[in-house]
Amino acid sequence: MTLTSTSDEELMAAVRADDLDQLVPLFERYHGPLFNYLTRLTNDRDLSEDLTQTVFERILKYRSSYQPTQPFKAWVYQMARNVHADHWQRQQKLRVADTDVEDVERTGALRGGAFSQMRVSNSHDDLHEALNLLPVPQREILVLNRFQGFGYEEIGKLLGCTAEAARVKAHRALQALRKIYFAN
Amino acid sequence: MKTPELSACHELEALLPAYVEHSLPAAEAARVAAHLPNCPSCQLQVTQLRALTNDLDAALPEVPRTVLRANFMAMLEEQKQLLKPDAAVAKPVAAPAQPEAKVVSMWPTAGLNTWMRVAASIVLIATGVLLGRNLHWGPQGSTEVATAASDSNQQTHTQLARALTPANGQVVSASDRIQLVNNSTKETEPGDATVQVLLNTLNFDPNPNVRLATCEALYRLRADPRVREGLVHALSVQTDPNVQITLIDMVVSMQVRRAVPQLEKLSKRPDALPVVRAQAEAGIGKLI
Repeated sequence: MTLTSTSDEELMAAVRADDLDQLVPLFERYHGPLFNYLTRLTNDRDLSEDLTQTVFERILKYRSSYQPTQPFKAWVYQMARNVHADHWQRQQKLRVADTDVEDVERTGALRGGAFSQMRVSNSHDDLHEALNLLPVPQREILVLNRFQGFGYEEIGKLLGCTAEAARVKAHRALQALRKIYFAN
Repeated sequence: MKTPELSACHELEALLPAYVEHSLPAAEAARVAAHLPNCPSCQLQVTQLRALTNDLDAALPEVPRTVLRANFMAMLEEQKQLLKPDAAVAKPVAAPAQPEAKVVSMWPTAGLNTWMRVAASIVLIATGVLLGRNLHWGPQGSTEVATAASDSNQQTHTQLARALTPANGQVVSASDRIQLVNNSTKETEPGDATVQVLLNTLNFDPNPNVRLATCEALYRLRADPRVREGLVHALSVQTDPNVQITLIDMVVSMQVRRAVPQLEKLSKRPDALPVVRAQAEAGIGKLI
């Protein structure tokens, strides 16, 4: 028996080869951080549990497309970003459909929903409230950097920019957050 | 009018986060340190950034409910059950070892540098020029091609459509069709009807080389939303491996995420070459 833990990439290579049980240790390593990442993006815990589940479903569904040479962490976070983006797009479509109907009552209900959403966020602490006021791209970069421990190099790869550009973006986001956080 | 202090503050503001996290180069850190004692506003910013960083570091992680683990385990069990009969069927008919094949992408993939894009365009242009020269040698083709080239500025999509489809009884040779397709995108803008003509060519032209040239022409018009739709559709109908691989490269390079279901089907199509199926799988990996 060996004490060295198996790497993410080795585990995922086994999952790719249909040894699905090897996804369990990967779930243990990643479901917390992924849930954290998605919750800070969506500000909705129930939804984030669903989205986290979707990420693992996609890992299984598309396991054969995993290239063993690519870092698992980057792959899984890219997938989580896409899952979040898909959810966002679906929401946008729903909103557009609602406006097309021009149903006054429904619009009222939507606004009511938005306000109750605000009340939920008010019950969170100030920091989370301030974070939620940032635009999603800025929030995301801070979450990756500060809560997920991503270096600028990794963030750059994930967002498709250079490490230096990621650093500049992160610093801008931090300044934006500072202005909101200390506004009063 | 800005005072020198204010513009210095404005300039230093961008450096303050890096100063707080001690990642500024020594020279710039010294500049900030020299400025701070005389500037209460920047001092306040530094204090706030330090407090914010501490609060961010102290924030407790969000922890999911245990139901997430239970749901995951249920989903995993389901998938394992699905796999069992498949495995029993798959084992006796072990697939013959497939030779390793390497596919070189014609299109720059997402992370590639600009110089790769430039290099790729040079190759494309060079191919176009070579092709053009070859075409001038043909006695019949030369006049048509010369006309096509000289008229390319005024060329309308209807003329192009007529030339590309053999409806008028006069069949234009495949190499001439390639030339027409290559010329078609020189003076067109997104939204142009040329896109529709090219999509028709991609779907219906019998010659795979013409279809390949059409792919390249469509890639140049990729700003048009119809191109993305058309490529996704083409993935499901094209059977030539070169065209299939080209299409996969294009949808990956253009980040057409809604192509994933088609790629998935392609990766499982028994009539597709192993190299195409592998390329489709790799494409899914980059898009999901």
